[in-house]
Amino acid sequence: MSLEQRDLDYGERPEGELDFDELADLLGDHVLDREQHVHTEGFVVRADEVATVLSKLKRRAGFDHMSCVTAQEYQDRYESIYHLKKYKDPTQELSIVVPTPSDNPTSQSGSGVYETANWHEREAYDLVGIEYDEHPDLRRILLPDTWQGHPLSRDYNQEKPQIVSLKQNPNPMQTKTRESGDSDTMFLNIGPHHPATHGVLHLKTVLDGEQVVDVDPDIGYLHRCEEQMCQQSTYRHQIMPYPDRWDYLSSGILNEWAYARTAEELADIDVPEYAQVIRTMGAELCRIASHLLAVGTFGLDIYGDFTALFMYTITDRERIENILEDLTGQRLMFNYLRLGGVAWDLPEPREDFFQKIRNFTAEFPESLQEYHNMLSSNEIFHMRVQDTGILPPEEAKQYGCTGPVARGSGIDYDLRRDDPYGYYDELDWNVITDDGCDNYSRAYVRLEEMRESIRIIDQCVDVLEEWPEDDREIQSNVPRTLKPDPDTEIYRAVEGAKGELGIYIRSDGTAKPARFKIRSPAFCNLQSLEVMSEGEYIPDLIASLGSLDVVLGEVDR
Amino acid sequence: MTLPDTISDLLGIGGIAGDLVGALLGAVLVGSIILAQAAVAGPWAKRKITAAFTDRIAIDKIGPMGLGYIIVDSVRLLSKELIIPEGVDRPAYDIAPVLLAGSALLGFAVIPMGSGIQLADPEVGLIYVFAVASLASVALVMAGYSSNNKYSFLGGLRAVAQNLAYEIPLILTGISVVIFAGSLQMSEIVAAQSQTLVELGPIAIPAWYAILNPFAFVLFLAANLAEVGRNPFDLPEAGQEIVAGFQTEYSSVYFVLLYLGEFVHIFLGGALIATIFLGGPAGPILPGIVWFLIKIWGVFLLTQWFRSAVPRVRIDQMIEIGWKGLLVLAFANLFLTAIIVGVLPT
Repeated sequence: MSLEQRDLDYGERPEGELDFDELADLLGDHVLDREQHVHTEGFVVRADEVATVLSKLKRRAGFDHMSCVTAQEYQDRYESIYHLKKYKDPTQELSIVVPTPSDNPTSQSGSGVYETANWHEREAYDLVGIEYDEHPDLRRILLPDTWQGHPLSRDYNQEKPQIVSLKQNPNPMQTKTRESGDSDTMFLNIGPHHPATHGVLHLKTVLDGEQVVDVDPDIGYLHRCEEQMCQQSTYRHQIMPYPDRWDYLSSGILNEWAYARTAEELADIDVPEYAQVIRTMGAELCRIASHLLAVGTFGLDIYGDFTALFMYTITDRERIENILEDLTGQRLMFNYLRLGGVAWDLPEPREDFFQKIRNFTAEFPESLQEYHNMLSSNEIFHMRVQDTGILPPEEAKQYGCTGPVARGSGIDYDLRRDDPYGYYDELDWNVITDDGCDNYSRAYVRLEEMRESIRIIDQCVDVLEEWPEDDREIQSNVPRTLKPDPDTEIYRAVEGAKGELGIYIRSDGTAKPARFKIRSPAFCNLQSLEVMSEGEYIPDLIASLGSLDVVLGEVDR
Repeated sequence: MTLPDTISDLLGIGGIAGDLVGALLGAVLVGSIILAQAAVAGPWAKRKITAAFTDRIAIDKIGPMGLGYIIVDSVRLLSKELIIPEGVDRPAYDIAPVLLAGSALLGFAVIPMGSGIQLADPEVGLIYVFAVASLASVALVMAGYSSNNKYSFLGGLRAVAQNLAYEIPLILTGISVVIFAGSLQMSEIVAAQSQTLVELGPIAIPAWYAILNPFAFVLFLAANLAEVGRNPFDLPEAGQEIVAGFQTEYSSVYFVLLYLGEFVHIFLGGALIATIFLGGPAGPILPGIVWFLIKIWGVFLLTQWFRSAVPRVRIDQMIEIGWKGLLVLAFANLFLTAIIVGVLPT
């Protein structure tokens, strides 16, 4: 008994649930108030005790995963919410709510406890305007340095255009790039236009010869105000097309599901099981398409040029796009999910559609073997990617890494299994992990995950084929105008292609969300590039970037 | 008898004037042959070969099999604006492309292409080829240093490191052939390979050095890949890492010259391999020049194959392979060859 209890974290019940009272006891006087959120509680703490509270929860209560920081402005105050989770069981969630006064929105930084808070707090500062004390590097992250005001704060004039010309930005070429004295390092801008940055990413790199001394990713070139746009749209119809545009590289249904899941749980909408099976199948097709592109472009980074591997993966991805086009009518921006189900049933004739998927799932393992031949059994490839871009599991947790990046560091974390949704818990599949912690592991995990996705798709098709014809309900009844209860707060996540894709919504009783916050997995994963590449060569930096598989549309939102 | 002599004899001009006219016309002929190869290879063959490896069709809209692109691309590239960035170090910036293309072309002066096409046949032919081919490294460094661009600079540095590491094994392996042939003269090396090694029924296997000394052949192929800067050794212009390396800041005609230089270099590498390992222009039925072109295209195909299928190594690994691997093997090969040739009776 006593042994078993020792295995449990503070505030954890043996059945794997959180005892919020015990957690509140642990924090004692630090907790000013307790709020009820959907699925969890929010502990209100003082703005100058954030680090103490967070480190207590991290050390004593086992909250090793800081999923996200949401910042928002109320009429009378600002608020930062730290969404805490555990890697071993992401259903154990806790929100730490930090209110700050409107006239002086200053709060203590949590970046000393969780490294990942660094960028999240910079974003909160940039968009909402909360200042974080003791933050090591508090500057704008998505918007240009010269931007006036904070766009998501209440007094910001959204009608007034701000045009930041190139000249207003600091020109890194003009700043002193050579230190005086003994230093013989070289400053190099990799990107925003560079063959290997997978989008518009700017890496400010300091080199010693060819070795990377320091790398500082500069993001925001593709910032499209996605959160703002969702806040101006109605739950029922208008938000769903946007998630397709976050990670626009064919993970559409996965992204849509993040919103669908959050909004459905917020407004208590049931989803027919039939629709869940279709969602699961569609999502896994998207995952394969996304991983294929990730592996293909990773090959591109290692091989150079448009080589065989890239072309083969694109050819296979094309087949998936064809299937998804049959299913959704679109090839990239699907807009297929609806709150309470999916847009329409499988295409007729169903047999042809199933046969098309069956053909793909039957032939894909052969292609997968070919990718393995070109990657995991190629000795030069091994030389290049093994033992480079090392990301130890502790560091990965510090940076809030999820998805294949975390699983490539041996962290057994997959929301499809750990926090089940859709039809996943009815199916037989495995979570792939690898202990290598290097660039190779991350590519390997993606390759093997595709095999598991094929298994899931096969089982879904089995289920769909057997489904009785008179019971194919694709959508439940959802009111035409959806108005969730006022002051409901929810943070939900799904396993996107790149990792934990989470959404925080606060409703205010209207048909539009009062705050819509996106927790982008690529944003968090990208932070770890610095630890991965310091001291390594430029080619390894490029390989690490490729192995992270960031999509800048999702990083910048 | 070399090509200029043949031409002057044919025209019936003697003396210095004959030498001059013969040499000029011969050079024009040889240069045209090589540039025609590069012109076909650059815009057309390279794309078609890579496409074949990657399940694509590539260019096919203009002319049969897209051959019209050879003309279209030439016009396109030559008509582009020549942009010379601020702060480049002239005239080094201007000389580099000319030197790169020129050095590769110069190498062909002593290559016997069969059917009597050989511009000159000096006694130090092989050394001459190595010497002019090395000038390319100077051109790469000039291009990298003078471009006033950090990516070019890194590319230039890589080019130096790479050429230092690979030129020595390349030459040492070439020398092992010289030990066999007993001469540096190209015609002698070709002649030494013309005997028949063994006869298997009707097929006579020639005494090509690729067959006599396959070890040296493989070594030379590997070192040559690095010398011409193709996968897995295309580091000086590694696109994914340093944009385009030394050629980042070049446009229009200069870019064409750099590109041309690289292609001619691949063909020079192929010509060297053909000459010292594959019996030069030797081959049944077809005329010598055709066989010679087939052989250098074979080498070109090989480089494109590697380009499509082999990952690029990292700069430190490449240096390691060069100094710790190829150099040691090249010396071992040289000593073994020397012992075998010295001990065995002819």
